[in-house]
Amino acid sequence: MSPVKPSFETATRVAARAALPVLVGPAAILVLAAAGGARPGPAVLTAILAGFGGLYLNARVRRVELEAAPVAAQAPAAQQKAPPFAMILERLPDPLMVIAADEADDLTGRRFVFANAAARELFRIQREGTLLVTAMRNPQVLEAVDEALFGDIERAVEYETGGSQGRSWIAHARPLSEGPEGSRLAMLVLRDETDARRSERTRADFLANASHELRTPLASLSGFIETLRGHAKEDPVIREKFLAIMQAQAERMARLIDDLMSLSRIELNEHIAPLGRVDLAMATIDVIDALTPQAKEKAVSFDPVLPPRGAAVVEGDRDQIIQVVQNLIDNAIKYTPTDGVVRVEIFPGLAADAAAGPRDPAAARMSLLTPDHAAGERYAALRVTDRGPGLAREHLPRLTERFYRVEGQKSGDRSGTGLGLAIVKHIMNRHRGGLTVESVQGEGATFGIYLPMAKAVATRPVAASAEA
Amino acid sequence: MTEHTVKSYGEELNHLAAEVTRMGGLAEAQIADAVECIARRDAPLAQQVVARDERLDILQGEIERKAFRLIALRQPMAMDLRHAVAALKISMSLERCGDMAKNIGKRALILTDAEPMTALTRSIERMGKLVEGRLKDVLDAYSESDLERAIGVWGRDEEVDEHYNAIFRELLTYMMGDPRTINACAHLLFVAKNLERIGDHATNIAEIIHFEITGEEIISKRPKLDTPR
Repeated sequence: MSPVKPSFETATRVAARAALPVLVGPAAILVLAAAGGARPGPAVLTAILAGFGGLYLNARVRRVELEAAPVAAQAPAAQQKAPPFAMILERLPDPLMVIAADEADDLTGRRFVFANAAARELFRIQREGTLLVTAMRNPQVLEAVDEALFGDIERAVEYETGGSQGRSWIAHARPLSEGPEGSRLAMLVLRDETDARRSERTRADFLANASHELRTPLASLSGFIETLRGHAKEDPVIREKFLAIMQAQAERMARLIDDLMSLSRIELNEHIAPLGRVDLAMATIDVIDALTPQAKEKAVSFDPVLPPRGAAVVEGDRDQIIQVVQNLIDNAIKYTPTDGVVRVEIFPGLAADAAAGPRDPAAARMSLLTPDHAAGERYAALRVTDRGPGLAREHLPRLTERFYRVEGQKSGDRSGTGLGLAIVKHIMNRHRGGLTVESVQGEGATFGIYLPMAKAVATRPVAASAEA
Repeated sequence: MTEHTVKSYGEELNHLAAEVTRMGGLAEAQIADAVECIARRDAPLAQQVVARDERLDILQGEIERKAFRLIALRQPMAMDLRHAVAALKISMSLERCGDMAKNIGKRALILTDAEPMTALTRSIERMGKLVEGRLKDVLDAYSESDLERAIGVWGRDEEVDEHYNAIFRELLTYMMGDPRTINACAHLLFVAKNLERIGDHATNIAEIIHFEITGEEIISKRPKLDTPR
């Protein structure tokens, strides 16, 4: 670090001085073009950055005059040799901003003079000169920026943004030189620490959950083993019975480990938007086919209401979408009594309100996951309705908790791992979708998911057919 | 970009809005920290939360003064008047949110002395995250003048209510099961109530934003849940 820092500071200072005269004249345009900054960015900064470019070339001949025109003079050469610094900053994956301030006590008056593409996207900054607070409200970060501006102090602040896809950031505030007309400049760079934080937390959660939930079947396994080695040793009937139970327990443990693993995998990727497209209807048909034997065993039949192929294409990861649909339908089969019907419906082209909206106004209803608002987004909704015992209102908010079990439910069916809906929720969160549940006690429950439709398709006749 | 005094009337209005947004950031941080104190049993942080509330009060006073000054000197009409009044009203709402965060901080100080009740504090934490998300959404809507987003927040109040009702029942069960927990549970009940009120303030702010942008009240009825029996 240390050999880099001083030279960087000198660079900034000199570059700023060199850039100032250039600013006013038409040379600024030249510099812009030379630096490859075709973007109509803030002239001040681009010029300063181009100054970097000039300086880079000048490194060996630093003592050669740097006063008025050197930046422009370097321009043709810069095209060939110097990396285009302005563009590099612009394309940097980490959000980088430069903030200017005039007076120390005018806390709201800090403005962006430069924000690279990543920063503009993150904060939805539309133009230069935007007030800093409209994009960044965190008081600690604002404080660090102030210290960099007026105290020449470098500081790093950790902070988190809320919402369903919360992220952890480290914000580095660094003082820059004085800007034009006595205003002060500071740089703010953000680094996304979400991955690191999340894997830390997931590891801790995983250990806590796994150790607790795996202990139960393990305890019963070792209990049976003890009995088999003891007085049940010579009894073939009992041995057979015990071995069957032990196998079931071992299978349960395997399922549990599978689910825990897939849950932690999903959690790690939760903030990364999925690539690819999935036809929700086709995926549902596949799942229904796969689950038919299981349904036949219980004499449960399906009542699917599906749109034609291509009408409900959503953005998503096919394997994960299949997992969601499978978990929901699998649950429905489990809770539907013998000879019952599981209803599976898909509605494409809904607005967010309609997709999350209730179907039966009398039912207890709860949104277990609501996506961050996105204007004009169209959703495809899948609803799976069972005719089981239903759920009391007080259980609804906790359904997606890991290992949450509704009390008073018949304990006969213990084949579930208690992770199914947690997995559904995390996958839906990754897909920027939603999850709802509706239930009338004694009459059954409806679980609904909705996913943003794939963009190109949403504008085609699909939307029209939904309105019709 | 480099003027010392605020140049234009429009800029003065923008400044007022930015001031409110900054106050919003402070309120958000206070609430997040308050919930954190409950979840992590962090007494020093709780003390900080209690001490920092004053900053919100000061900011609110400043915004009020600026808004009055702007109204008196510039005599804004229509949209501009709504901007000024919205800033005034939202800052009052945020100040109340801060008070509630402070109250949660105080209760966290008491709760750190009692036995930990992880299941309950986890429910509170979940509700806290939900409320934080709503406040964040509505403040984003304010700083971006995003009407749809504000309406989105306004329509989703029931989620918080559901959480509150669930926590209410959970706490009752605990208190009936073990009378020794009554003290702590009563405090947690107030914490949940405070969070629920913060959620209401987010809804209220959404309504103010709606009026600010359109000049009309939101007419349709908001879905509302009954209080638990």
